Formats: sequence, structure tokens, C-alpha cells
Amino acid sequence: MKRIGVDVGGTFTDLIYVDDQKGTVLVHKTPSSPADPSIATVEGITTLCEMAKIKPSDLDQVFHGTTVATNIVIEHNGANVGLITTEGYRDVLHIARHKKPMNFSLWQNLPWQAYPIARRRNRLTVNERILADGSVQVPLNDREVRAQVRKLKKAQVDAVAVCLLFSFLNDEHEKRVAAIVREEFPDAFISVSSEVIPQYREYERFSTVALNAFVGPKVSHYVQRFDAELRKMGVKTGVQLMTSAAGVATPQAAVTRPVNLLMSGPIAGVVGGIWAGRVAGEPNVITLDVGGTSADIGLAQDGKLRMKHLLDTKVGPYQAMIPMVDVDTIGAGGGSIAYIDSGGIFRVGPRSAGAMPGPAAYDQGGTEPTATDAIIALGWLRSELFLGGKKDLRVDLARKAVETKIAKPLKLTTEEAALGIFKVLVHSMVDAIEQSSVRKGFDPREFALVAEGGGGPLFASHIAPEVGVKHVLVPNYPGITAALGLLTTDLVYEYTKTAYVMASDVVSNAKTRSTLEKQFAALEKEAMKQFVTDKIDKKRVRLERIVDARYEGQGYELRVDAKAGAIDEKWVKAVKNEFHEAHEREFSRRFEEVDVQIANIRVRAIGAMPGLKPTLVKKGTKTPPKTALKLTADAWFEKAGKPAKFKTKFYERTELLAGNHIAGPAIITQFDSTSVVPPGYTADVDRHGNLIIKYSAAVAKAAESGH
Amino acid sequence: MADLPEVGINPGKPTRKRVGVDPITLRVLGGAFDAIAQEMAGVLFRMSYSSIIRESEDLGAGLFDAEGRELCESESTPMHIGSLPWYIRGFLHRVDKNELKEGDIIIHNHPYLGASHTPDIAVAVPILWKGELLGFAAVTAHVADVGGSYPGINADAFDMYAESKIYNGLKWYEGGVLNEDLDRMVFDNVRTETMNRGDMEAMKAACILGRDRFYRLLEKYGSDTCMSAAYDWMDYSEKRLRAEIKKLPDGEYIAPTAWLDDDGRNRDVRLRVETKIIVKGDHVTVDLTGSNAEVPTGYNVPFEGSLLVAAYFAIRTILLDQDRLDEPVPQNDGIFRCVDVIAPKGSIFNPNFPRACFSRFNQCQRVVDNTIVALSKVVPDLVTAGNSAAIHFCSYAGFIPEKGEYWLYLEVNEGSYGGRKGRDGMDSVDCLMANTRNNPIEELDMRFPMRTERYELRDEPAAPGQWRGGVGIVRTNRFLEPGAYSCEGDRHTDPPRGIFGGYDGLPAMVRHHKAGGGYEEIPAKVTGLMCEAGDAIQLIEPNGGGYGNPLKRDPKLVREDILDDFTTVELAREAYGVVVDPKTFEVDLVKTKKLRAQLQKKRGRNFQGELLSLVKLPHRMAVSPHTGKKVAARR
Repeated sequence: MKRIGVDVGGTFTDLIYVDDQKGTVLVHKTPSSPADPSIATVEGITTLCEMAKIKPSDLDQVFHGTTVATNIVIEHNGANVGLITTEGYRDVLHIARHKKPMNFSLWQNLPWQAYPIARRRNRLTVNERILADGSVQVPLNDREVRAQVRKLKKAQVDAVAVCLLFSFLNDEHEKRVAAIVREEFPDAFISVSSEVIPQYREYERFSTVALNAFVGPKVSHYVQRFDAELRKMGVKTGVQLMTSAAGVATPQAAVTRPVNLLMSGPIAGVVGGIWAGRVAGEPNVITLDVGGTSADIGLAQDGKLRMKHLLDTKVGPYQAMIPMVDVDTIGAGGGSIAYIDSGGIFRVGPRSAGAMPGPAAYDQGGTEPTATDAIIALGWLRSELFLGGKKDLRVDLARKAVETKIAKPLKLTTEEAALGIFKVLVHSMVDAIEQSSVRKGFDPREFALVAEGGGGPLFASHIAPEVGVKHVLVPNYPGITAALGLLTTDLVYEYTKTAYVMASDVVSNAKTRSTLEKQFAALEKEAMKQFVTDKIDKKRVRLERIVDARYEGQGYELRVDAKAGAIDEKWVKAVKNEFHEAHEREFSRRFEEVDVQIANIRVRAIGAMPGLKPTLVKKGTKTPPKTALKLTADAWFEKAGKPAKFKTKFYERTELLAGNHIAGPAIITQFDSTSVVPPGYTADVDRHGNLIIKYSAAVAKAAESGH
Repeated sequence: MADLPEVGINPGKPTRKRVGVDPITLRVLGGAFDAIAQEMAGVLFRMSYSSIIRESEDLGAGLFDAEGRELCESESTPMHIGSLPWYIRGFLHRVDKNELKEGDIIIHNHPYLGASHTPDIAVAVPILWKGELLGFAAVTAHVADVGGSYPGINADAFDMYAESKIYNGLKWYEGGVLNEDLDRMVFDNVRTETMNRGDMEAMKAACILGRDRFYRLLEKYGSDTCMSAAYDWMDYSEKRLRAEIKKLPDGEYIAPTAWLDDDGRNRDVRLRVETKIIVKGDHVTVDLTGSNAEVPTGYNVPFEGSLLVAAYFAIRTILLDQDRLDEPVPQNDGIFRCVDVIAPKGSIFNPNFPRACFSRFNQCQRVVDNTIVALSKVVPDLVTAGNSAAIHFCSYAGFIPEKGEYWLYLEVNEGSYGGRKGRDGMDSVDCLMANTRNNPIEELDMRFPMRTERYELRDEPAAPGQWRGGVGIVRTNRFLEPGAYSCEGDRHTDPPRGIFGGYDGLPAMVRHHKAGGGYEEIPAKVTGLMCEAGDAIQLIEPNGGGYGNPLKRDPKLVREDILDDFTTVELAREAYGVVVDPKTFEVDLVKTKKLRAQLQKKRGRNFQGELLSLVKLPHRMAVSPHTGKKVAARR
């Protein structure tokens, strides 16, 4: 198959082309076009096709990771949303969980009130009520609904969200409201809570459904236009999109539930990292994707993605109760600015110099020292090798910024200050990685740290010993690992339903069992229907059952795997076991004697895609080819807590061969990334071209005495 | 326990050996302390059982030195932040520091020995390192029931012994071994054993986690560096706060008298709160002299665990507003060093043992609100107009014969904020020292024999101002089985103040709707009100005060307010002087200009608008802060 993955970032759009039969891999990087991301994308695809000497019509698939939906939320420029809800509950979105983002502030705004997804004037109620057992207390009045819909039409909303209380137990009222909306106001984008997310917790559900309506019209427009453009170019399959749950969705699915694209952006990086790990024989990976302003951190054990806790599934300040891969983003990147605050504390980030003015060394007017300036001052980035020698770096400006803003006030040397900036950032990343690894019960010693993005390989080797991972893995193309991730993803959908049953009841009560069976079956049927629409062969489909469980009386669930097959005592036992394990991992405690409640059930439906075959690099000897060594120069590394000068070798990554072994201090550069091998570390090139960077005591000793 | 030691004594600056910590390590350790506190709180609220902990996050967690100085504390509910130091100093009167062992777990809730109030139980574990007691990992959390006279809430209790079982520095575990008889004694004497057990297990887990995380830092950096870094950070926070205090002109700033509704038993006897803020150099004193004498019910305030916390909160929130800072100023002992509090012994803010003091939140809120209003003259840009500054903390309970236990639901009802210079007040949100999460209705209705029938913004408009006040909520909860309702609340009589020409807001109100029809307006503080199946409690929360002259509000914003039902066409004309067509909602700018000039002339300079007289809903208990008289509703 001939496939293209497109990852649209804030600054660059990364594209990768793969021909599975020929084993061809081509990459392309082009500046993003934020006003209309599809411009850069379509242009990039055209260029890649030219490079590959194929016609667009030869392409079998185009996969796309997009921040379009995320940006609509963050820039708050979505649709004008109208909401129809149960009488007495007009302000669920306004009250939210009645908790302020900040404890110590009179000045803060509540984002959901200051920048509402649906303004109060467009939140209308209808007199109806479904009770906690699913029965109807107050029946719906069609005439009232019609009148409210007409009001919304008159108010010129673009989208209508239908959010009634307890609709996850009984959707008949919501269905009827939706039908009336379709009759009265066919142009509106409709988002119905029992369809988008039939799950309990009204604020979270309403917020998700309103967000779906908010991003819906624009995302649909974008997806459909992009799809049409591709088809016009001759791409028969159109576009497929990355979802927040790390699945790929068809344009049709994306248009119905655009809310599922909200975290499309950073997830491809984790998926790409998992693939890179698998290629290198590392099923357990922690992924670190460092860009200019932020770093994304993910973790996967046995190659399996983890999902976020529902309290954490937010987009900006808005709650979105959708399955999201657990990725943490912190404000630490190459552009992070170092400064001394008014109380005398040394800080780095989260403020960033961004693309403009950028680091001081770029000579675009920046005078504040960034992490990149610190790294330049340490001699790790050199002008002649940076971005293939295409961008001039002013070492003097970098040093000056570090010296005047940090070194002098703190009475440090320039190198001490530069190393300090680097170390503070390393520590923020270590902290964030620990947060998602060891603090969630994963043993970092069993994991490889996959360094991605332009900056990941700069930081990873210093992070590795702090976190305690086995080693660092730098994939072949660290800068486009995310784009690559897209091509390794399967078609994935997730369907969910609130069950709210006790495990003991499932065992003792035949009726509960059959209800649960039916609910699972209904979700599975829905999934299979989607695959028919997607024209995916049944044989390629795998269905997984998941439950959100908690101990009786607890308030928050944990997501655990459940078995397929008949729901019986054995099934329940297995679920309980999985849950006890998960609870112990998360909270270091288990309560075997307490009953377990199954709050929600889920079906994760996977339509297998062909995957990606790893390429092989030419085999060499232990010593890298002479031509790969570009220069030897002084660079500064930490020695006994202080910066010390080391003779350092600079290699070109693409000229390294499988089996090559490099002892630090060394710097390995490639077009879009730079890998640092500090003194005491070694780097080995595996047969697929991955760099494995390890700490070695023997090399450390040699490095110290050799100097 | 009549012979109580003197309390409220700050241990002063640390005396442990200090070493120089380089700026990078200092930064790194600062981040690590903060992360530990947040993580402790995260474990606690995510694994706990009662909704008051897991949804409301009515908890605090952190690390403390051997004298109780706070190294770090979680960002949970502010009412907890800063009370744990006093719990620790309190239980150290009972527990011998020199005999603490690894694996000891201490529980404590004595309100005259540092506790915030009895249901906020503290669990603490010592941090012992190479034979030295470095400090404690400790948490407090509000447990559902503590075995007082009534389930859940005891606003009207005879004395401390009636409101709760008292745990004074007891070792729940000793050297890692459970004290089984104590464990039975504790859990046999509460109405909600299962919930309490689950919650206390979560508290224990959080403490052990905090301790172990701190051990890891000690292993890596050594105790001298870790403790010195902690003390450096305290100095940092102190320095930051003192720098802000120093910017204020020296002087005494006095808030208008605030009135609390009653003590929960003697109705119609309002309680006085007097607040004077004394600024001198880089130090602030909050002086409550002149406030009401202690009361014979549970409506007194523990001095250390609650009142001090309120004063710290007020000063820090106004002067180090998180939203205005470029970088966080960590919460630690340094903040406490800048603020002193005076409350005469025997007053409601410093009661004599063994007065009951179960219900103290509302009084603390009013101290904070008064501090804000008092300082509005010096820092007009940093304050809000008067806030709801109250809570209705409700308990709904009944007995489940099959389980031999009670069902018990605790609910914190939100308020609203006053307007600010440049921003309207926040609506429907936990106010000031409260910052809890509400419970999903869909969860409550499925879990308890209750049904919530309404939960949205109240019908009355926002308090007019150039920046309008926030709007409170209305909520109706119906009992489906017979049960008991208790509540500690306030602010049914005294509305939030408007400032700089803004209108006063609206007070709160609670109605008891009877199953058979009709309703009764009931006081904010109620203990053990029996409800029949079909009875409902309706809570209406205050609207915050307006900020600045409403005649200066942008007419466009007034129009938006009308469209969103935050005000009415009528009120736009009367209070804002904005003429809006009731059909098209277009503003008539010419007429508006004329009307505004007329109104300004008529009102003069010292005009004070009262929203109470402009709304149709009668607030029968309300009293005008300006005339001292009841205010009739609009007809």
C-alpha cells in the first residue's frame, strides 16, 4: 500500500510517505498554514507524490492528525450554540462543578462563564423529566419543544445541543427533541447527548455535547473540504483522521462526533513512540516529544495506550468526557525563557519566546535567554550543523543573554548558568514523567525513553538516569515520529453506556446479567455497523470490552479490561481482579472484601490497518564511517556538579550504519533534531537505524581520566 | 481535659541547622514539595468514599516540620490550608516527640488543640530520618459523621462533647501495628462506618505516600539540603507577601459592621462581626475586637485551626492574587509570618473551652469578606464588592434498617462574588474559602432516596454596578423517604455590600416545602429538622454586591445582561439609567444619556442602591445594612 501520514503542528506540517511493498519511506516538512491548515497539507501531499514519483490517485490512504478542533476551543471561535435542556437545569454549563480554578484569587474569571460554549440566552428549557430509574415523570410536550426550537432558529444559532437529564437511561425524549429540531431547523448541526455520550454526570455530559456542537460545523466543513480536495486530486479513499482515543476515524464518523478529534494533535506522537519501541524490541515506552514551547509525555506498557482519568479529560478549561489517551503537556521546550523572579528565584518557562522573536541566538530581536540559547552556550548546537547548516546561530548573542540575565545576577559563570537553565528544564520534564510513570505504579526500569520532536533527543539522555529508565531510544526520524504514528494506527471507535450495576448483583441476578449482555451486544452491533460504513472487512475487526469500575460507595471509576464471551461468575471475577490490580497500582491499596460497581461499559472496536514495516539500515562496523564524523569541538558537560569542557565529536546521523558504537561526549545531528550523548554514555545504532543511548560506568571513567 | 495549654503560639523561625542550597537545587526541590502535596490530595480525593471528600475536596494535605511549620500544602479547599500546623502543635501536647516511631499513625480532632473543627479529622505520620524527627506528612479531611448528637451537622450542640467524639493525639497505628481497640472505638461510634473507614484508609494512604516521597528526596539530597531548601522557600513566600504589604500605606482600615443571622438556637438575635485591618510596615494585623461574645451553641470559631486560616487566606488572596502573578508563590509557613490576629478570649472568634464549635465556616467567610471591604479603600483595583461570603452546608440523612447504617449526604451550596474593577462578579461558584465540587445530580438521584428538581441561577437579577455582582443559585432537593435535614448556613438577613456606588446584593433564603403543599421560610441554621417523604428543601443563595456606579456601565453590556436574563428592562432603566426597547432590546442612546444625567443629579454622591427593594421576591428575614430595618419587596 502507498500511504501518507500528515501531522499538522503549530509551526510545521510534517508528512511521511510509505510504500509498504517497496519499503520506501520519504519525509517532508513544510511550514503550516494556520488560517487554513489544508493548504499546507494539500501542497505537502503534492510535493511528496512528486518526490515518490507517483500520482495522488496511486495513494491508498491519507491519515491526518489535526489540531483544528483543539484550536477552535482554545481560540474560542466555534459555532453559535443553542441548547435545549430539562426545565430547572438551564445553567448546568454555567455552574459547572462550582469550583474555581484558583484558590487564592479574586481576579480570576471562570472560563465557562466568561467564555461560555452556549450563551445563556440560547440555553432554553423544556418541561420534561426522566427519573433515576429511567421512568418518565413528566412527559415531553411537542408543542413546547417546537416553540423553543423556533426561538433558537430565530436567534440564528448554528448548532443545537440536546441535553436532557437522565437521557443515558432513557433516550426517548432526546430522540423526540432531535426529530423536532431536524424538522424545524434542518440546517442546524445537531448534537444529542444520548448519541454522543450516553454516560451519567450531567455537567460533564452536557459540556461534551455542547463542545461537540461548538466545534461541529467548522470541523465538518474542514474535514469535508479536505476530503473533497483529496478526492479531486485523485485520492480515492479521501482522508482518515486521528481521534483523541488514538484511533483513526473516517470523515463520516468525524463529522458526527467531532468532539472525538479534540486531542488529535499530541496523540500521534505517543502512537509513533510505541511503534518505534516495538521496532526496537521495547514494548514498554515513555515518550517525550519536545517542541518549541511545550513537551508532550506519554506512557505505554506492553505497547498499550493508557486513557486519562475522567476528571482530567479537559480541552482548555472545558470538560470533555471522551476517551482520551493519557498525554501530559507541560510548558517546557526549546523556547522556554529563563529568568529570575522578584523574590530571587531562578525560573525557566512556561513563558516561551515562540517562533518570534525566538531564541536570542536567532538574532530576531530576542534578548531573553531561552533553553536553546543555553544549549548553544554549552556548545551542543553549532551553526554549521544546525538545520543542515541552513540557519545561522549567533553564539555570542546566546552567551550574552545567558550571562547578563542569569549568570551575573546569580554570581555564576556563563556555563554554570547555561547548565542551570538546562537542568531546571530537565527537572520539570523528569517531574512530569514521574507523575505519569512511577507515581502511577509503573516501574521506570522496565521502560525505554523514546525521544521525539526537535528537542526530545537534546534532553532525553540527561533525563534517563533521573527517571531511572533502561535507556534512551531515538527513532530514525525523531522530528516526524508523530506523522509516522498515524500510519501505524488502526481504525478505532469506542462506544459507551452507563450500566450502574453491582458486581454481586451481576452474579446473583439473571436479569441483571442479561441486561448487561444486551447492552454490550448493542454497543458491539453499533460498532460493526460503523465498520460496514467504513467498508472494513469483518475479519479485520477486533472488539474489546472495557468497564469503568469502582468500589461500592466510591465516586470515581477506573477503566479496566473485561473479557469477551458470556457474562457469568467467571467474567465478573476477572473484572474484579483487574479492578483490584488497577486500584492498587493507582492508590497502593486494594479492598477485596468490598463489592465492585460497574458504572459504565465500553466497547473498543478495532479495525486492523496494514501497519508499517520497519526499514533496515546498512550494516557497518563498530566504528562509524569516517565521513560521518563532521567535526570535533569543545562542548560543556556536567562533571561533579560543575560544567567542564570536553573534546566532543559531532556526527551526522544519516551517515551512521547499523552496529556503529559511539562513546560520549558526542553530538549526533540530523536535519530536524540533535541527539546528545554526554560523557559516560554510549550510543549504538541498531539494525533499523534507531539510536540506543545508555549510561556506562566504564565509559564515564574513561571520559573523566581522558580529559 | 480541662487543663488546656496556651494555644496559638507560633514557633517562630526554624532553628535547625541551615546549609546553602544552590539556586538550581532550590528550584528543583520547590517543585518536588509542591508535587508531593498535590499528589497526596489526589490520592485522597480519588480513592475516598464520602462525597464531601471526593467531590467537594473538603480536605488538606501536606508536609510539615517537627514544629508544624508548613513546607507545602495541596491546592484543595482553602479553609483547610494552614490548619494542619495547628493540629500538629496541638497533638504534640499529648504525643511525645521523642517516642515517635516509624509506622506510627496519629489521629486528632480536638478543636481547642489546633483542629479546624471536629469533623475535620487529621491523620499524621512522622517523618523520621537517621534518628531525627524531621516532621510529618499529614492530611485533614471532613468525614461524614463524627458521632455527635445529630447525623452529619451539629450547629446546635450543648458543648464540644455533644458535637463529636474527640480524638486527642491518639495512635491509630503504633510502629505499624493497628491499635485494634481504638479502631473499634472510633468506627463503632459513628453513623456511617463504611464511609468513614474508606475515607480514613484513603487518608492513611495519602500520608504514607507523602512520607515515602519525601524519603526519596532525603535519600537523594540529604536532610540538611532538603530542610534548608524548605526553609528558604518559606523565606521566599514571606518576602513576596511582605513586599506587597509594604506597598500599602500604614493605617487602620475598618469594615462596616457585618451581621450573622443568629446562633442557631436564639432566633432573631443577630451576632456582630467587627473587623479592623492594621497595616504597619510589612506586617498586617487582623483585629476582631468588638465582635460578638461566644455563643451557647456550636456556632463558635476555633481560634487556631479556623480563624487564623481565614486571616492568612484573606491577606494572601488580596495581595498575592494567583491570577495576577507571573509565577506561583508557594503556600507555606512564610505566608503565616506576615499576619497576626487579635480576637479577645471569650469572643465568638476565640471561645472558651468547652464551648461547641462545630459550625465555623460562615463566620470565617465574613472575616474574609470584611477584610476585603475594609481594604477596598487602599487597593480598589484588587478587591471585589461584598461577596456572598457564606455557605449552606447541608446534611440530608436517614436510617437504612437492612444495613444498620445511615445514608448521609452532605452538600455545600455555592454563592457568588461581588463585582471587580473591570470584571463582573463570578456567578454560582464556591465563594472565598470554599472551593468544593458539587455532586452530579445524576449520581445523587441514583444513590440516595432524594431527587433534585431544580438547580440553576436564581430568578432575581444581579446587583447593579459599573461591574455587576454575581448571581447565586436556586436548588430544590426532595426527600423520597422520611429523613432529617440539618444545615449550618447564614446570610439570610444581611446582604452583600456594594462598593464605590454599586448596589448591595441579595441575601439567601431557605424554604421547607411540605409534601401536603405550602412552605415555610426557615432559618439558615437548622439542626435535625424531620422531613416527611415528599418534603423538599429549597435553597436560594446570595447575589454579590455591585462595584462602581451603574450609571457608568457600558449600555451595550446592560443590553447583553437583559438578553441573558442577568437583569431586566425595568432595572436597566431604574438602576443603570439605560433605556431599552422591551421588544427589540435595542438601546436608545439619546434617551439613555438624558436619563443618566437626571438620575445622577437625583442620586447625588453618596447614593447607595439596595437591590432588595427592587425585586419581587420577599426576603422576610432581610435587614437593610443602612437603615437597620426590614426591606419590603417590590409590589
